[in-house]
Amino acid sequence: MKKGMWSLGILAIFFVLMSLIVPNAAQSEDTIKLGVTEPLSGTFKDIGTRYLEGVQYAAKVINEGGGLLGEKVQVIPIDSELKPDVATRKAQTVILKDNVKFFCGGTGSSVGEAMSQLAKRQNVIMFTYGMDAASMTGEKCNRNFFRPGGSTDGRSFAIAQMIVKKGFQKIGIIAQDYSFGHEAVDAFKKKLLQLNPKARTVAEIYHPLGTKDFAPYASQLIAAAPDVIFTPNWGNDLTLLLKQGRPMGLKAKVVSYYINDEVMIESLGDDNLILGDMGAEIYMVSIPTKKNEEFVQKFYKDEGHYPTWLRGKSYMAVMFWAEAVKKAGTTDVNKVIKAWEGLTYEGPAGTWTMRACDHQAQVPYWTAEIVKNNPFFKHAFVGPAVEVPAKDVEVPCDQTGCRMGQ
Amino acid sequence: MNEIFVFSLHGLAYAGLLFLVSAGLTLVFGMMNVLNFAHAAMYMLGAYFSYTQVTTTGLFWPSVIFCPLLLFILGALVERFLLRRVHIHGHLHELLLTFGLAYIITELVKWIWGNYPLAVNITGFLSKSIHLFGIIYPVYRLFVIFCAIMVGVAMALILYKTRMGIVLRASVNDGEMVDALGINVPLVMMGVFAFGSALSGFAGVIAGPLLSTYPGMAHEILVDAFVVIVVGGFGSLGGAVAASLLIGELQSFGVLLFPKLSLALVYLLMAGVLIVKPSGLFGAKQ
Repeated sequence: MKKGMWSLGILAIFFVLMSLIVPNAAQSEDTIKLGVTEPLSGTFKDIGTRYLEGVQYAAKVINEGGGLLGEKVQVIPIDSELKPDVATRKAQTVILKDNVKFFCGGTGSSVGEAMSQLAKRQNVIMFTYGMDAASMTGEKCNRNFFRPGGSTDGRSFAIAQMIVKKGFQKIGIIAQDYSFGHEAVDAFKKKLLQLNPKARTVAEIYHPLGTKDFAPYASQLIAAAPDVIFTPNWGNDLTLLLKQGRPMGLKAKVVSYYINDEVMIESLGDDNLILGDMGAEIYMVSIPTKKNEEFVQKFYKDEGHYPTWLRGKSYMAVMFWAEAVKKAGTTDVNKVIKAWEGLTYEGPAGTWTMRACDHQAQVPYWTAEIVKNNPFFKHAFVGPAVEVPAKDVEVPCDQTGCRMGQ
Repeated sequence: MNEIFVFSLHGLAYAGLLFLVSAGLTLVFGMMNVLNFAHAAMYMLGAYFSYTQVTTTGLFWPSVIFCPLLLFILGALVERFLLRRVHIHGHLHELLLTFGLAYIITELVKWIWGNYPLAVNITGFLSKSIHLFGIIYPVYRLFVIFCAIMVGVAMALILYKTRMGIVLRASVNDGEMVDALGINVPLVMMGVFAFGSALSGFAGVIAGPLLSTYPGMAHEILVDAFVVIVVGGFGSLGGAVAASLLIGELQSFGVLLFPKLSLALVYLLMAGVLIVKPSGLFGAKQ
C-alpha cells in the first residue's frame, strides 16, 4: 500500500512538471504572439534551436525598436519533435488557449504541410523560412501559408546557373534516394539543360538516406570523371561523402545545397576535404551588402556568435512578416494576408517580394566558395557571396501548380 | 577486372567494420545468452572517449588501448551490479535492463558532448592514401580490415586454443559442473561481459574516424549489428565472420550492379537465410 502511495506521489509530481513544459504564454494580453514550431529535442534539436534563435533575435530587434503596432512581439517556442501530428496538436492548443494567430517553422516539410492545413482550417497564418519542398507553394499551396524563404526549385536553379557560368560540362550527381533528393535533382537538370544544352550528366547516383559506407558510390563517381559534382545531400550524408570520398581520390569540386553550415564543416575536422567546394543559399553571413554587414556586426555584438544561415534565414522571415503586420495596421489575419501579398522587404540578403499568386517570396540566391581564410571562424568557411538575381531562379506563376483562388 | 578488385576491397573494409561491431554482441549472446541492447551505446561511448582522448593529446594510438579498457571496466560494473541482479528473473528483464541502459548512455552522451557531430582527427600514416593496383586507397580502410582480422583471430585462438577458452565454453555448457570444479563461474561471466563491452568500445574507436561521431551513431549501427548476428546465427563467431563478409560484399557489389536495390539487398538476404535456415548460417539448432 505504501509503495502504491509513493508511485502515485511521483506520478503527481511528474504531471505537475509536465504541465510546466507545455507551451505557456499569455503573461500579458497586449502582445503579438508568434508560435515557432521547431524540433527542440531529439536528433534535429541543433537545427531547430538555431532557427529559434534567429526568430527570438528578430523579436528582440522589433521590441527594442518600439514593438509592432505598439505591442511587443512574444515568441512561443513549440517543440514539434519533427512530427506533424505533435506540431499541430500543440499549435491547436495555443490557438485556443492563447489566441495565437501567427506561426512559423523551418524544419521538416511534412510538419510544414500539416501546419499549412491547420492554418487554413483555423484561419491563422503559417510561414516558413526553411521548409524547402517546392510543392508547399505549388500544388499544396493555400492562402494562409507563406514562404518568405527559398525552395528546392530556386536553389537548384541557382546552382545550375553557377555551374554553367563556371563552364563545367561533365556533371556528376549524387543524391539521397527519397522525394527531396529526386525533386532537387530534377529541378537542377531541367535548368541545366535550359542554360547549356551541351552539358552532360556523366553519373546520376541515388543512395539510401543515412548511408554509412560511401566507398562504392565514390568509386562510381571517380570512374565517371566529372568536372563537377552536384549534391543536395545534407547532414551525415554530405559529411561522409566528403570524408570518405576525398581520400579515395574524389577530386572534383562538390557543389552542394548545404555547404555553408559551420557545424558540418567543423565536424569534417579537415578543411582540405571541403576547400574550393561551392553552394547556394538565400542567406550567407558573407553577403557583401552594407545592410548585411551591419546586421552581422550587431548580431555578433548582441549574441556573441554569427547569424550563420539558419539564424539569418529565420530572422529575415520574421522581419518580413513584421513588415506585413505593420502595413496591415492590425493583427487581423485576413488583412495581414492581403497586406503581405505583393509586399517588398529590403533585408540583409537583398530585395524580397512576396508573390500573390503562390505566396512564394521571390528572393535572390547567393553563391559562394569555401575558403580557408575568413573573418568568421578559425576553420574554413564561405568566402564572399555572389548574387544570383531573383528573376533568374523564378518559376512563373502558371508553372507552380498552385491554384490559390479555387 | 580492376573494378571487381576495387569493389571487393570496399566490401572487405565494410565487412571488417561490421564484424568489429557485431563480434562483442555475438560473444555475449553466445556465452551468456544475453541480448545486449546497450552494445551499440557502448560502441558510441568508445567513439566519444576516443574523441576526447584524441582532441586532448593529439594522438590516436593510445585510444585504441585506453578506450576499450574503460569500456571493459564499465562492462564489468554493469554485469556485477546490474545484470547479475536481474539474471534470475530471466531474459526479458535482462533485455529491458540493457535497453534502458542504452537510453541512459545516449542521453548522457548528448549531455556531456552535445547533440551535434564531432570530428575525430587522425594524423600521420593512417590518414594518408596509397596507390594500390592503379587506384588510390585510404590507408585507414586497410587498417580497418587489419583490425577485424586481428580481433577475429585473437577471439578464435582464445576460445578454442587456450585453457581460458575451455573454461569459458564449459561454463556455457554446464555452469554448475564447472562451479563444482572450483572455478568461479560468476567471475568468468563478468569477464565475458566486460570483454564484450571492450570489443564494442574498440569498434567505436575504429569507426570514429571513418564515420561520424554523433549521438545517433549507436542507433544506426545497432540494426546492422543485429542483421549480422541474425544472418550468421546468434552466438556464432564463425557466423559473424561469414555474415559480415557476405553483407559487406553484397552492399558493395549491390551498388555497382543493382543500384536501385542496394538498400533492400541486405534485408532480402536476411529473409532468405531465415526462410532456409531459421537459426542463421552457423547457428545451433534450438
